[in-house]
Amino acid sequence: MRLSSLIQAWNTFFFEPQSPVPIAVFRILYGVLVMATLVLLRPDWLNWFGTHAWVSLPTMHHVEPGTRINLFALFPQSDAWVETIFWVALASAMFLATGLFTRVRSVIVFLCLTSIDQRNLFLTHGGDTFLRVTGFFLIFAPAGAAISVDRFLRIRRGKEDAAIIVPQSPWAQRMIQIEVSLLYVTAFFSKAQGIPWVGGTALYYVYHLDELRRFPVPAWLLHPAMVKLATWSALTLELFLGTLIWIVEFRYYVMALGLFMHLSLEYSLNIPMFQWDVMSAYVLFIDPTDLARASKWVRARIG
Amino acid sequence: MPTGKQRVSPALPDKRPWAPRVTRAAINAFLIFHLVGIICWSMPLTNPLLTAGRNLIRPYFLWAGLFQSWDMFSPTPRAINSYIEAIVLYKDGTTKNWVFPRMDRLSLTERYFKERYRKFAENLFEDTNSALWPDAARRIARLNATGQSEPAMVFLVRYSSPIVPQNEPHLPAAWDSQVFYAYTVEPGDVK
Repeated sequence: MRLSSLIQAWNTFFFEPQSPVPIAVFRILYGVLVMATLVLLRPDWLNWFGTHAWVSLPTMHHVEPGTRINLFALFPQSDAWVETIFWVALASAMFLATGLFTRVRSVIVFLCLTSIDQRNLFLTHGGDTFLRVTGFFLIFAPAGAAISVDRFLRIRRGKEDAAIIVPQSPWAQRMIQIEVSLLYVTAFFSKAQGIPWVGGTALYYVYHLDELRRFPVPAWLLHPAMVKLATWSALTLELFLGTLIWIVEFRYYVMALGLFMHLSLEYSLNIPMFQWDVMSAYVLFIDPTDLARASKWVRARIG
Repeated sequence: MPTGKQRVSPALPDKRPWAPRVTRAAINAFLIFHLVGIICWSMPLTNPLLTAGRNLIRPYFLWAGLFQSWDMFSPTPRAINSYIEAIVLYKDGTTKNWVFPRMDRLSLTERYFKERYRKFAENLFEDTNSALWPDAARRIARLNATGQSEPAMVFLVRYSSPIVPQNEPHLPAAWDSQVFYAYTVEPGDVK
């Protein structure tokens, strides 16, 4: 292998222009998921983040020191400001989903999400982390280049041709894809260090956590042999999702298995939003031509 | 990765021919830095190189909100069920039990909205998070200030019940309780 071929592979992977439709679809899903997250938090905005919250701002600074992006620390300490930040976040997520002033909205959404996490890190879960880190790279992506109000306005002003979606450099999309892949790989390595995962009993404990239960799991699935099979399957699938998703021939198969795994977890465990957050990023791995074909098929069905 | 069939827009004459090269170099530096940083940060492995890398990027990652860990249920899932209660002692000597929202006692819809309480209670349960206890006790005092009598003390109580290992006879869950924090309410806490 030559250095030049490595450089060429890097450039092709990160910079060869491709359709911005997958990142645009992700932007829509992302905006909706951020809205859902904020709406679910709505009854407790002030309980968690207000002036008399469960964790005060000084305590949070004491426990998690260091300079951080945190709008709650920047603005005056009042419940009105806390509510304002949330309403701005909600409105920006809505505009981001529709693709109006996409870049600015993506920055605002990221700043708000990061601030919400930083304000109280003791109630965040994997879904929040996922939205935060993918939101960072979404800022740099051409997320408004397709299926957006921004594009509609550009077409109306004659700045863009309605018949052409200009291919864009996908480096920011690649970073989000790498985040997804890394999520699975690190989850695999972390689990592989645990005796219950290697021994095949881990899911037995997970499904016996009263506080996490949602819908009942059929009794036959809790048979020791099935628990073992399910535990090892989950472990293997996480490794596959983190690695084989990059290989075109395997991609859709592992993605289908990944969807099955996430939907099973959504059914059985009460971990709001996490599964949907991760599944939304699968769209970034779909070939744009396949996405166009699927869209055409759906439109034909709807009429 | 396949790109599909698209037409590329015609290039405009560039007054700064060096700009694309500089931009590309800046993006490459950004990509390499973040790729290395994210891998160093999130890989659950301990070796001196990764630790050094983590220490180097820590200020930036904490500031920018790029810190991340994907260790749910790992390396070992929790093997206990737990919940937290508070006993509020009023100045007139009466007491009241206050329970954190428990997911297994809520409706499906409520669970979706209130899941953060489970997460927070899980953190509050741990001795390593003792710095959170005074704020939580103050909050509970405020929530339970009835007007008839002011709260004088708040006791945080944790309940735990080990999950019976697989292949062992299942008996009714036995719950251990422990008062893990006592807080004396100050006059300003409930105003």
